[in-house]
Amino acid sequence: MKRFAFFPGCLIPARHPAMEFAIRSTLPKLGIEIVDLEGASCCPDPIYFKSKDKISWLAVAARNLCLAEDIGVDIFTNCSGCTATLSETYHLLQDLELRAQVNERLKRIGKEYRGTARVRHIATLVRDEVGYEVIRQSVVRPLEDLKVAIHYGCHLLKPSRIMQVDDPNNPTVLEHLVSALGANPVRHRNWYLCCGKACQTEEVPLNMMHDLLGAVCSEHADILCLICPTCYGQFDHGQMKVSRQFDEEFETPPIYYFQLLAFAQGVPYDKLGFERQRFKPECLRRFEMATAETAAPSSGDVHTE
Amino acid sequence: MVQGRNNSQETVRVDFRFRRELAQKLEGNLASFCYQCGACVGDCPATTYSGTFNPREIMLKVLYGLGEELLTEDSILWQCTNCYNCHERCPQEVKPVEVIISLKNMLADRGIIPPSAQKIIETFETTGRTTPISSAVHKQRERFGLPPLQPVPMDEIRALIEPASKGGDTA
Repeated sequence: MKRFAFFPGCLIPARHPAMEFAIRSTLPKLGIEIVDLEGASCCPDPIYFKSKDKISWLAVAARNLCLAEDIGVDIFTNCSGCTATLSETYHLLQDLELRAQVNERLKRIGKEYRGTARVRHIATLVRDEVGYEVIRQSVVRPLEDLKVAIHYGCHLLKPSRIMQVDDPNNPTVLEHLVSALGANPVRHRNWYLCCGKACQTEEVPLNMMHDLLGAVCSEHADILCLICPTCYGQFDHGQMKVSRQFDEEFETPPIYYFQLLAFAQGVPYDKLGFERQRFKPECLRRFEMATAETAAPSSGDVHTE
Repeated sequence: MVQGRNNSQETVRVDFRFRRELAQKLEGNLASFCYQCGACVGDCPATTYSGTFNPREIMLKVLYGLGEELLTEDSILWQCTNCYNCHERCPQEVKPVEVIISLKNMLADRGIIPPSAQKIIETFETTGRTTPISSAVHKQRERFGLPPLQPVPMDEIRALIEPASKGGDTA
């Protein structure tokens, strides 16, 4: 088993525990041991606290990276916001002058940032450390003929000089991850759009989401797969809001990739928390019926340190 | 076009005090490398959907030192979606989004933060998290068999976000 420190952030553990459950049940099946980070705080978020004071933001982020350095493992994140903050911190602190400045602050709590722990989004982690083929082999319930629209969001890919995940103009990682489950990924015409959550006005995110949902729905996809809890909120609660405001029917259920993976690996639908979603991916139930007789579903037990 | 001057005859005076203050912020000084090509505009979702937000214009106002036009109560800066497309596209590596965040730092120094953002910042500064933890959260986690969430060591977080003391470190 390869060991990696899990940086769960704020949104997933508190608001979307089903996503965390899915991560903890899928990774061990792919040969990854999850190491919990003791004393981790908010990354801190790259929108709000960073807008107040960048140097304090950097110091707190560096402290989080120190926690992984102290136990000698690399970090993986499950939220694009955390990925943005921690990757940018890792990148910025390669500048030794800035590192010294941040270490002055860390000295106040007896810590020192050394730059030894790498940061990766969980989608990148499974691509690079597990590989698509092993993911494919872990699937007991292939999602054949499931049409899956994809939303990359912003901070998995950009800025590419810092994230170094994929080609921001033509990314493929999520298409491959979805294909590994036996499903058919589809790229809608507004695939590159932001979800708009960080924008502190009504007009921009509302009109943007309207265009985005129009593109997603015109593909008649069964579900929309994404890898960020903030994007998820925009596509679940937000989709309802946009539908109401424009008096149009948008109803593509969003799913966090690792919940879809957990389902494909045999975790029962009813254990994955989908009942809490406003748009429920009921279309998945047909796979459960199809495999009920051929494979014994796994228990979906959670593995923690 | 940059607006806000009283009449076309009036010369634009660069406010160097504003420029110096921005340069103190992390990556704030990158705006100096902007040559106004507009590569940041085409891919900017806020430009597409707001009609008033334009990253090239914001960089131009920074170059002119027209801070007064950017640092207002209803600042246009908060229309930025933080998508990082401008950072991706800029041939000069100006990172317009980072300059905009530095400008927001200047707004915060003046006590101007939108209430929606302020609420999240306060949650972080008091709990170390941006999402509040309630008993309902604990119950939900239990239901999924997840380990309980531990409190964040706030003494450490508070020590880190304390501004540098006079004559002390420069951080």
